[in-house]
Amino acid sequence: MRSKPGQIAVWQARLIMLVMINIAQLWILAATVDAALARHYSVLLPLVIASGVCFAITLSIIKWWRPTSRKKTSSGYIR
Amino acid sequence: MTKNLSDESDVRAATAPYQAEFPYERDEEAQVTRREFCNFLGLTSAALFVGAAGFAGKAALDARESVSLPTAHIEGAETLTPNSSLNFSYPTERDSAILIRTADGAYHAYGQKCTHLSCPVYYSRAEQRLECPCHEGAFDAATGAVLYGPPPRGLDLIEVETRDGQIWATGRKS
Repeated sequence: MRSKPGQIAVWQARLIMLVMINIAQLWILAATVDAALARHYSVLLPLVIASGVCFAITLSIIKWWRPTSRKKTSSGYIR
Repeated sequence: MTKNLSDESDVRAATAPYQAEFPYERDEEAQVTRREFCNFLGLTSAALFVGAAGFAGKAALDARESVSLPTAHIEGAETLTPNSSLNFSYPTERDSAILIRTADGAYHAYGQKCTHLSCPVYYSRAEQRLECPCHEGAFDAATGAVLYGPPPRGLDLIEVETRDGQIWATGRKS
């Protein structure tokens, strides 16, 4: 079954968003390492929370943000 | 009839035992579906989150630890000539440290890990300062303070005392 143009756009948007979130998390991890080595403990928790929020957004994109025209069966979405 | 060595079926037959142990198909290698790539990005996101949380957790735990550090004799420190350095371990064998005898004869000791990304610092006799070769940071030999470069704070200071002509490490301050 071929994807419709709209579905392709949604897939591309999902991928781009996931890549951008991954890049942001890489930056957060680098900032966490820097802060830990510099003993700036006050910023560690906000950085971990930010990384957790990014992960939650990633999960929501993967689990729920799908092309609406895809058919769903009892065993899941049609691939 | 000569055998065609480039025949794909021969290759398949020859690699069959390995395919059984490591079932990885050539066709699958070339194609990654969008779904698989999305899942890979999801796993990467999870790994980055766990990495950040783990690093922050370990740093927080290390900060809470308040152990009483032992007193340790620094072997060979007495014979150290002015404007030179000596490596030793303190407080444990895994914690490398550096003892410096400055040109005026005073002893100063520091943890050897650069506060930027933990590269070992060394004493530059020509410049009379501690230098980190990784990212060109430098520290004052007498105080351990940052002179220039990316390190965000000074080196960990190791307290030294002279007892009966011997040099002892007695504590460590971050």
